[in-house]
Amino acid sequence: MARNWSDYKTNSWVQWCPACGNFGILLAMQKALAELDLPPEKTSIVSGIGCSSRIPYYVKTSNIHTLHGRPIPVAEGIKLANPEQTVIVASGDGDLLGIGAGHFVALGRRNMQIAILLHDNAVYGLTKGQAAPTLPLWLKTKALDAPNIQSQINPLLLAFASGYTFIARAYAYHVDQLKDLIKLAINHKGTALIDILQPCPTYNDIMSKEWYEKRIYYLTSADPSWDPNISSQEDFDMKAPKILDKMTEWGEKIPLGIFYRNISIEPLETRIEKILPGYLQYPPAKRPIDIKSKPIVHPFTEFKDRIVQT
Amino acid sequence: MSDEVDISVMIGGPQGGGIESSGQMLVRTFMIKGYDVFGIREYHSNIMGAHSYYNVRFKKNRPRSVKLPVDGLIALDAETIFTHYNEVSPKSFVVYDIDILNTPMERISPMEPEVKERVGDELKKLGVEPIASEVIKYLSNNGIKTVGLPLKNLLKTTAEKLKTNVVSVAKTVNTMSITASAALLGIDVETIEKSINYYFYGKKSVIDSNVMAAKVAYDYVKENFGIGNPIEDGPNKNKSRMVATGNDIVAMGKLAGGLTLETYYPITPSQDEAFYLGEHRYFKLDEWASKELGVEKLGVLVFQAEDELGALNMAIGGALAGARTATTTSGPGLSLMNEAISFSVMAEVPVVITVWMRAGPSTGEATRQGQQDLLHSVFAGHGDTPKIVIASGDHIEAYYDAMKSLNWAEKYQTPVIHLVDKYIASSMMSFDREDVDPQLVPIDRGKYITETKNEDYKRYELTDDYISPRSPLGKRLMWVSSLTHNEYGMVTEDPITREKMLLKIAKKIENAGKEIPLSEKVSLYGDQDAKITIVSWGSAKGPILDAMDLLRKDGIKTRFLHIRMMSPFPSEYVTNILNSSELVVDVEANALSQLAMLVKMNTGYDIKKKIIKLTGRTIMEHEAYNALKMVIQNNQDLVVIRDGA
Repeated sequence: MARNWSDYKTNSWVQWCPACGNFGILLAMQKALAELDLPPEKTSIVSGIGCSSRIPYYVKTSNIHTLHGRPIPVAEGIKLANPEQTVIVASGDGDLLGIGAGHFVALGRRNMQIAILLHDNAVYGLTKGQAAPTLPLWLKTKALDAPNIQSQINPLLLAFASGYTFIARAYAYHVDQLKDLIKLAINHKGTALIDILQPCPTYNDIMSKEWYEKRIYYLTSADPSWDPNISSQEDFDMKAPKILDKMTEWGEKIPLGIFYRNISIEPLETRIEKILPGYLQYPPAKRPIDIKSKPIVHPFTEFKDRIVQT
Repeated sequence: MSDEVDISVMIGGPQGGGIESSGQMLVRTFMIKGYDVFGIREYHSNIMGAHSYYNVRFKKNRPRSVKLPVDGLIALDAETIFTHYNEVSPKSFVVYDIDILNTPMERISPMEPEVKERVGDELKKLGVEPIASEVIKYLSNNGIKTVGLPLKNLLKTTAEKLKTNVVSVAKTVNTMSITASAALLGIDVETIEKSINYYFYGKKSVIDSNVMAAKVAYDYVKENFGIGNPIEDGPNKNKSRMVATGNDIVAMGKLAGGLTLETYYPITPSQDEAFYLGEHRYFKLDEWASKELGVEKLGVLVFQAEDELGALNMAIGGALAGARTATTTSGPGLSLMNEAISFSVMAEVPVVITVWMRAGPSTGEATRQGQQDLLHSVFAGHGDTPKIVIASGDHIEAYYDAMKSLNWAEKYQTPVIHLVDKYIASSMMSFDREDVDPQLVPIDRGKYITETKNEDYKRYELTDDYISPRSPLGKRLMWVSSLTHNEYGMVTEDPITREKMLLKIAKKIENAGKEIPLSEKVSLYGDQDAKITIVSWGSAKGPILDAMDLLRKDGIKTRFLHIRMMSPFPSEYVTNILNSSELVVDVEANALSQLAMLVKMNTGYDIKKKIIKLTGRTIMEHEAYNALKMVIQNNQDLVVIRDGA
């Protein structure tokens, strides 16, 4: 019997502020997992530190709550060791684009099959509202003592430049649309980013529900011919300018939907198999290391290059 | 040659100028002759041009350190003459290229101004002009055999004999210099040829030109200087042996110990371990294992991360998925890994961190020796972070400790820091098959769940031995948390649960201290009932043991407490040894005498006598011996040793 979204609920009290955007993301995630019917033990949500990073406790899958900024390398380690595990990273913009930005970039070079859900509310909520890397220049939210003098990162462009092969933007309160994107991101054979715009009703009094809903629109509704799919270099050369154009659109109008989906770049596991035959059959988590506790390799068997016949 | 063969040869030249291969060939030459060898490389943090040298020692029974003065010096450039002229023994030889004779010291650009000034002052006192030919004349006047090779002409002869041009054989100059020194030591040209064959295994044209160069050089020395009395064969003839650096042997230990994933970020002097493991990533199983498993080869994944934060967190992720994981780094990398060490303590993740210490603080000297990360390792990680810290004293210990660390990590579900250093990393040692028997360390994964089962599972279940059954991700529904958590891994701030969980972590490490046999934590060498106790750790072991042999000849009985397990600390045993000693002296390569501090913390015993070395160079036999004498006979409290260029 297929699983229902409530099968992915835990008994934990969800401790976010009333009307927090995280509620929408949590529901969309549970629905996506249910529709994909993913086995809870074979699915891992990996989070960093911050309000949104509490999400592992609210979803009934095998989850890891890591350190501030480090969910990506932990997720990568899981995937390297066991490519069969479904791995999702859910973390905030401060976590992924501030303290963890190096890992965010490096992941793109690897194109591992990991879905990144970027909870993007432009503030550090759990430390009471400091400016996060996606807060626009000169905005003064109520928690700040002065207007923001640092300008914002464009997560979509950063992901694009880093080599992510699935790049989308969603809005936290549009649960069904977000759910559909999460499903696509999980199934994408490469690194996927969903930048999820998320009002923080407690600390970001400027980028509120009303602020967003005046601005957001879907790429496909504005342009029925919108096509983010790329399957060759030729395709890329043709479509990239328009994709970049849409990725940079921000202000009066904020586009949502899939910006870029490239299926022509091979994922890391395929690359590893090429330099390490047998990797997919015996990945690090499943490789025999002994026979009844006996080690299976003697240095003199393998390291012939250090042998000297006297 | 005397009955007791104990010969040291130094070879110096510019980095990137073939020093590495020369040292390797020299080591193989002595091994083929049947001797045990120990050789250490000293080099600058530089790719091309800066001064680098090997000090290689061979004996009938395994040398454990190097010493000065040496019995032969091979100078591949003029800088070597100026840097090492005062490190040769009165009965030694110096081999050099006659083209360097006219070089004045001031013209040697890579030579550091401080060194030039110091050497200049010394030469002035000796009345020697700072020109290579004058220094060589000075050596010759002091009875040292100076052997100038006309390398340009010898290259021409080699090229003619091979019917090729000089450029294509230019790289054989080092082989010529090595051959000359081997000839002076009484080693036959056939042994050198064999060594060339081993070192350049499979590269036929390289072997041919080097073998020819060796013959040409050998004949030249024979004709013009005379070769040494033939040296007898050592006790290790007709054997299949191995020679490896510490970096190599730790890679071997990890592979034998069942490592399946190693992550790393490039840092000296750890990178060669990851490189070497990477070269052997698709490895051959022992025949019996291959038959049983039905595969000939299996893999270990070596993965380069974006930084050390990434490296350790990836290793943690891999371990959570069920891989046997390790990462390798040095002091600066360990600094970056601190937060993830704390995470792996809290989340009870088995992971091995191999730390190849180098000279700090800060960037310090990347390619130089230091034992400065002891306290850093023991206390690494914020919050209370009990863990296992093991420090190896030599190659063989490093091999077995690498295997054991992987076991301890899984058995106690904890990070294990394996401390090694530059001295071990870049020194070479000869050993036999039985010295590295993996079957002596059976694989132990502890309470590891291998079956998939749908059951109520508590990843952090409280048990009598404080260790919870551990499932990899994929087999159980579970939560893993870096926050204070309950038995299910769910976050909680309940004060009583917090206390229980912190005690769980502390107690399991305390139990590890009780369960791991004393012999794997500490060794007592020398005269067991001696009243003088030397205390030290890590690679200072070799020179101390060698120095103790010399002290014994002087009639001074000593014993040596080599402490390996730094956490959990073998307090009771160490206390007993120290309390039953009349004189205790601590030896280590750091400014704070960190082991003495750790000993005091764990035992209350205050070690007053200290020997330290801070130059970034290896502790050598002769200086350990001299320093120990100064403490024992002159009652000196602190001796700072500083030999080695």
